[in-house]
Amino acid sequence: MKRLFVGAMALVLGAVPAMAQSLEDLNIQIHGYATQGFLYTTQNNILTTSSSNGSPAWTEAVVNLTSQPTPKLRIGVQARYELLGNLGNAITLDWASADYKADERFGVRFGKVKVPSGLFNEIQDIDPSYTWALLPQGAYPITSRNSALSEYGSVVYGTFKLGAKAGKLEYRGWGGEVVMASDDGYFINQREEGISFTNGLSGVSYGGALHWRTPLAGLMVGVSDRKDNQWITAITDYNPGFAYYNLPTTLPGSEIFNAFNVPEVFAKYEKNKVMVAGEWGRLPVSGMVTLAYLPNQPFRADQRDWYGMATYKVTNKLTAGVYNSQMFDHQMALGPARYSKDWAISGRYDFNSFLYAKVEQHFIDGTAIGYDYSTNGVTPGTPSAAKYPTTRLTILKLGVSF
Amino acid sequence: MKKLLFVILLLAAASILAAHAQAQVIVIANPGVKATEVTKNDLRDVFTGASTALPGGGNVVPILLKAGTVHEEFLQAYIGKNDTAYRAGWRSLVFSGQASMPKSLETDAEVVAFVAHNTGAIGYIGKSTPHEGVKVLTVR
Repeated sequence: MKRLFVGAMALVLGAVPAMAQSLEDLNIQIHGYATQGFLYTTQNNILTTSSSNGSPAWTEAVVNLTSQPTPKLRIGVQARYELLGNLGNAITLDWASADYKADERFGVRFGKVKVPSGLFNEIQDIDPSYTWALLPQGAYPITSRNSALSEYGSVVYGTFKLGAKAGKLEYRGWGGEVVMASDDGYFINQREEGISFTNGLSGVSYGGALHWRTPLAGLMVGVSDRKDNQWITAITDYNPGFAYYNLPTTLPGSEIFNAFNVPEVFAKYEKNKVMVAGEWGRLPVSGMVTLAYLPNQPFRADQRDWYGMATYKVTNKLTAGVYNSQMFDHQMALGPARYSKDWAISGRYDFNSFLYAKVEQHFIDGTAIGYDYSTNGVTPGTPSAAKYPTTRLTILKLGVSF
Repeated sequence: MKKLLFVILLLAAASILAAHAQAQVIVIANPGVKATEVTKNDLRDVFTGASTALPGGGNVVPILLKAGTVHEEFLQAYIGKNDTAYRAGWRSLVFSGQASMPKSLETDAEVVAFVAHNTGAIGYIGKSTPHEGVKVLTVR
């Protein structure tokens, strides 16, 4: 089924631009994109792939259908196929929403909607949108992005003009339920330790963002804050070693995530050929794992991340970029598992409006992000899921969109 | 010294040509659109999806040319991006559920016909293209 979807996408991408145009007459549009990536690493395997041997296990395909029956109302749906190493390999609903824009100061979108937090959250999974093959992983970890990417609920948005010398203020507010499947990448290390999330994880999340489009053309400064309420979910813990203590090898229990806030501060400046951006964020998570027969196990993480990035349009077709991204978990013991520091150098070449390629080199120090026990042959439960403290990651990516 | 003079003359010629090129693109709107003039910022906001209205009120819908000299000159003068980067920006909005891709037409004549007959439509054409049935917006 999944291969059929990808194959169908290939046919669509090859033959549909004309169809897209004719359907515009009915105010119905079809768009899509597909990407194929190749990863190679020294030292460790990354992103659940066998990257140390070179891995092509990074494929995405998206199909989007929208209609605008009235000037103020737009409805749409987007499906996605994604494969990244041992994750995904399934077709999912990316978003499906109705959007009513009353005027510049108020609009509302409801359904399954993208969460407009931070600088890149709404578009972090839209590869054609940006120069990078991988966004700064401290802020936008690709293996666990579903926890922040979208929710079932609504978004309100609008823009207020502040006067000729004060620019514009854009606001966004959102609220709804985040739903993550039991096989989501967010849980991968816990799964490899034997813990299964019986029903996945879901809970209420809401927040707001302000973007100030300053009087200096091209400069935007913003803040956002997201609040996740307390989430509780059923789990099971499988461990053959439990039998030694005359316990069942699979214990039932629950995992409680205490309520927390995710504040982010960001800025972006674009002028002519240059783009410069930066972001700081904090993700403080705490909770409790409760299992039958065993003492409760509290857990705590306090991740603080930031990045600075810049791109330069070398020619009409070639864009070069560089970023430095850092993340520290202040609750983690000292060592490589406490942090991830990443220098990335990237190039994007647009052959035309439809076809592009990306080349990217990462110099990663620390093992806090992107590693799992299984592909690195590390005993589950070890603080670092990678064997070596540093990784060099090379990415090649080809993409087509219409 | 002669080389410096030559370079200066070349740059002056290029800027004159650029200004002349800008003057060759005019912005047109459906007669129902209330605005008669727009700022570059307002125009850029509408054609990048950041806004769906012009001062004076009422929804506006941007109409694009698919390609060509007029299209490139419009992007250069008012958007500051080439076609690839421009359409990539729109695709960000489309694929994140924030907008629909604006309609793209083949010729100036098609743009004039569409803008004339569709409420709120706003587009751009070559200055020498006949444009009966639409109003020309002054860009300041």
